[in-house]
Amino acid sequence: MVDTLNVDGLVAVGVPLALAIRLTSVVVTLMLARHARACRWVALGASTAASMMTAGVAVRVIESGRAIEGTLFRQAASETVLGYSVTPLSAWFLMVLGLIAVPVALYSAGYFAHAVARPRTAAVGAAVNAMLGGIEVVFVADGVIAFLCGWEVMTLGTAALVATEHQSRQSRRAAYLFLAMSHVGTGCLMAGFMILASAAGSLSFPAILSGHVVSGPVRHGVFALFFIGFGVKAGLIPFHVWLPEAHPAAPSSVSAFMSAVLITAGIYGLFRVCAFGLGTPDVNWALVFMSVGTLSAILGVLYALTQTDIKRLLAYSTIENSGIISLGLGTAMMALADGRSTLATVAATASLMHVLNHAIFKGLLFLGAGSVGMATGTRHIEQFGGLLRPMPWTGLCFLVGALAISGLPLLNGFPSEWLTFQALLLGFSSTPGMIRLTFPLAAALLALTSALAAACFVRAFGISFLALPRSRAASEAHESPVFMLVPLGFLATLCVVLGLFPGGVLRALEGITASLPGLQPPAAMVWDGLGMSSTLTSFDHVVPAMFGLAVLSGLIVSTALTARRGVAVRQAPTWGCGGELTPRSEYTATAFSKPLLMIFGAVYRPTRQVDALAEVSPYFVDEVRYRTEIEPTFERYFYGPLVRGVMQMARGMKVLQAGSLHAYLAYVLVLAVILLMWLGGTT
Amino acid sequence: MMSMQDALLAAGAALLHAGGLLAVAPLLKTVIKKMKARLQNRQGPPLLQGYYDLAKLLRKEPLRSEVASWVYVAGPRVYFAAAVAATTLVPVVFAAAPLEAAGGILLLVGTLALGRFALATAALDTGSPFGGMGASRDMTIAALAEPALMLGLFASALAAGSMNLGVLVRTLVQEGVTLHPADILAFAGLFMIVIAETGRIPVDNPATHLELTMIHEAMVLEYAGPDLALVEWASAVKELLYLTLLVDLFMPVGIATSAAPQAVLVAIVAWVGKVFVLAVAVTVVESTNAKLRLFRVPELVSISLGLAFLALAIRFL
Repeated sequence: MVDTLNVDGLVAVGVPLALAIRLTSVVVTLMLARHARACRWVALGASTAASMMTAGVAVRVIESGRAIEGTLFRQAASETVLGYSVTPLSAWFLMVLGLIAVPVALYSAGYFAHAVARPRTAAVGAAVNAMLGGIEVVFVADGVIAFLCGWEVMTLGTAALVATEHQSRQSRRAAYLFLAMSHVGTGCLMAGFMILASAAGSLSFPAILSGHVVSGPVRHGVFALFFIGFGVKAGLIPFHVWLPEAHPAAPSSVSAFMSAVLITAGIYGLFRVCAFGLGTPDVNWALVFMSVGTLSAILGVLYALTQTDIKRLLAYSTIENSGIISLGLGTAMMALADGRSTLATVAATASLMHVLNHAIFKGLLFLGAGSVGMATGTRHIEQFGGLLRPMPWTGLCFLVGALAISGLPLLNGFPSEWLTFQALLLGFSSTPGMIRLTFPLAAALLALTSALAAACFVRAFGISFLALPRSRAASEAHESPVFMLVPLGFLATLCVVLGLFPGGVLRALEGITASLPGLQPPAAMVWDGLGMSSTLTSFDHVVPAMFGLAVLSGLIVSTALTARRGVAVRQAPTWGCGGELTPRSEYTATAFSKPLLMIFGAVYRPTRQVDALAEVSPYFVDEVRYRTEIEPTFERYFYGPLVRGVMQMARGMKVLQAGSLHAYLAYVLVLAVILLMWLGGTT
Repeated sequence: MMSMQDALLAAGAALLHAGGLLAVAPLLKTVIKKMKARLQNRQGPPLLQGYYDLAKLLRKEPLRSEVASWVYVAGPRVYFAAAVAATTLVPVVFAAAPLEAAGGILLLVGTLALGRFALATAALDTGSPFGGMGASRDMTIAALAEPALMLGLFASALAAGSMNLGVLVRTLVQEGVTLHPADILAFAGLFMIVIAETGRIPVDNPATHLELTMIHEAMVLEYAGPDLALVEWASAVKELLYLTLLVDLFMPVGIATSAAPQAVLVAIVAWVGKVFVLAVAVTVVESTNAKLRLFRVPELVSISLGLAFLALAIRFL
């Protein structure tokens, strides 16, 4: 009895306490700036404690299905009260954050010591806590002010992290691009919230997101504003341009946060506001979601396929997964627009499940990439090779992540993609009219996406970890310290466990979907405790654990078939086509993706340049230089003209803002006169 | 939850089922080879050649590259395990699959993708350029074939109202085979994909070891002895599985709905006959076509994708 009371007491103050811990740690870290080691421990220890606390609150909310509310900040004089409310939906995202933040913090304790310059440790540690605190406020805010404050702290914290290596021009550019894009997004959000708030006469979320605040064309306009605002953070194409620049620029464990957690802030907004906060979604909104989702998924993976920087590759793959999440949400909205709550629940569940699964495997992969980067000093895949020998555990964990992200059965990428397919197929069979053909089209493109993802990660793992080392750095690499391996192992285990027992995740999601307006979780979705079903077991169901046993028996049979007692395996050199086998004769990552580059040439629009350098005669070539590049379509044709337009406008406005104090005083005078005249006219 | 007895029964059925397909699969490869040889006025191998080859390979000394890691060893084993496990999801003689409670079409396609992932990754492990080339091409073709395969399967599954192969076949048997025009289109589309997925001409040539044209063979070029036996055997099972899938989806006539010996006998004969007819079709396609350039394969696959989409459209609009 006493125990439960204590736990309840802790849960009641968990969120403000966690935020207080983060705030304190930011201050303490900055004060300790001279002692890098102390900074690391304070910042990461505080982050772990705070994440565990919020995750605990989240788990309690998910268990009980009841929201926990409270006050974050109160000022009596101005009667400002900023409240928080951990709704089941917030709890899901908070739990995902906690689940990733704890292992990543542990990993960072080892990683920051090597990868972050000592004088910058304090700033990085403080920024990590600021960013995570900001994201937590975003998830729990129950009003516009707290939400936007959290949003901005999150953005600024992230920007600081992206600019960690600010001596490099590329990092500065990435941070600037991130800030510019984020603020375009924030501007849209502010405009949207202002419209809603003025219509509702309140700033609290329950009032303005009740669904009947605005109607008609205004509602569509507000939807568009929010879609852009949250879409930028979620990394959806065409608002994605910041993402492949910003993710690689930050230290790898921070990239893991950004990919696994930061983009979910955008997804959370899309859920909370666009899908469930503006009343019954319009069919066209759903179509926008589905097409943007599909486009992001397919283009994201296509771009990921051709990257040779491992972190850029993972960043593009984040865009792909964000697309898959949006596709699920779009399907849910389509179903809601038609008033089919069961289907909407299946689709929303798929989408929320993929949020969790993506966070786990992408966190794992970014941490793996960080370890590899630390061991070799480069991020270039073509300079890795043979890393499985010096780094067996990192390699194994990366392989698990690669299998999971390719959506292969027995790992956690499969259940959420499976459920997305279910939603699309059920959508097809229950929607009347031509519009139903969008579902199989999206399903076919989703199938293409996951097959391309498999190709992408065969390449990423195979070229990096297998065969001969391709550079000196790779041959001198060594395994990371144990406490960087433990988080990897933890996340890899989660990939396997959630892949084998998806029923548990579904059960947790039942209460969350039940709390969203218009959704009704069907009882038949959790099938047999272990597996999952698409509302109708006769339509489709899957029990991965059971199938895992079948695969395991297959493995045993194959091992038994080939087991030869007393015969030793003979090792022989690989045939090098008549010459000596060197790393130079290995297939490269560029070559691996070349067929797809050519087949999807219309998307990539590749340019290639081959120069043969010869001194004596053109028939005796000394050196061949090969350069290939894919066209950055969105940057060139969408953002290029936009930026040029903005710059031109700015130059035009320079006439007004010439730096002359007299001119400015004159503007003030003119404005005052005009306002007085106008006010005089109205009264 | 399943009772212990049910679980044991299902496991027993799965073992028998997978064992049966494993036993028959090498025969299919040889039959196709033999028919191809006859079309070219050659004698062709004896019918049991597939078994002789496997026995010979399994008896050989295991030989591996000194560059390779455990991934190279795991590749063929996972490939084999995936193919064997996949068989338990597909009905063959009875109108039920032994492990249909574990999943349906999506799990089947995913499992085959798992095997392919394992083998393609392992191919990169020896440092030989052929492995990389084969892996790259195999993954490319698989990626292109995947949407057409899924859409083709969806077209037939949605008509029966189930993605579970056991339920699907039972529905089809109950309603009788109608040969709706949509079925014909979906069949044509899927047949092309089966050719692509099993590495047959015009997509890949299983008989060639010419470095510029091979795909699957390049991927497994470095394998020898028992490891190669697993790859060959699993490929044969995969091919048999795909042909059985076509039979199940479009012509499940004669499949046993009860355990009466007579029904089972009829079902076995019917299955053998139907798979043989498909094998003849594969042989004819292989003997009368030239291999396509790799960059012409997308055209073939898009035709198949178009057919599947049309099948969906005419059945449901």
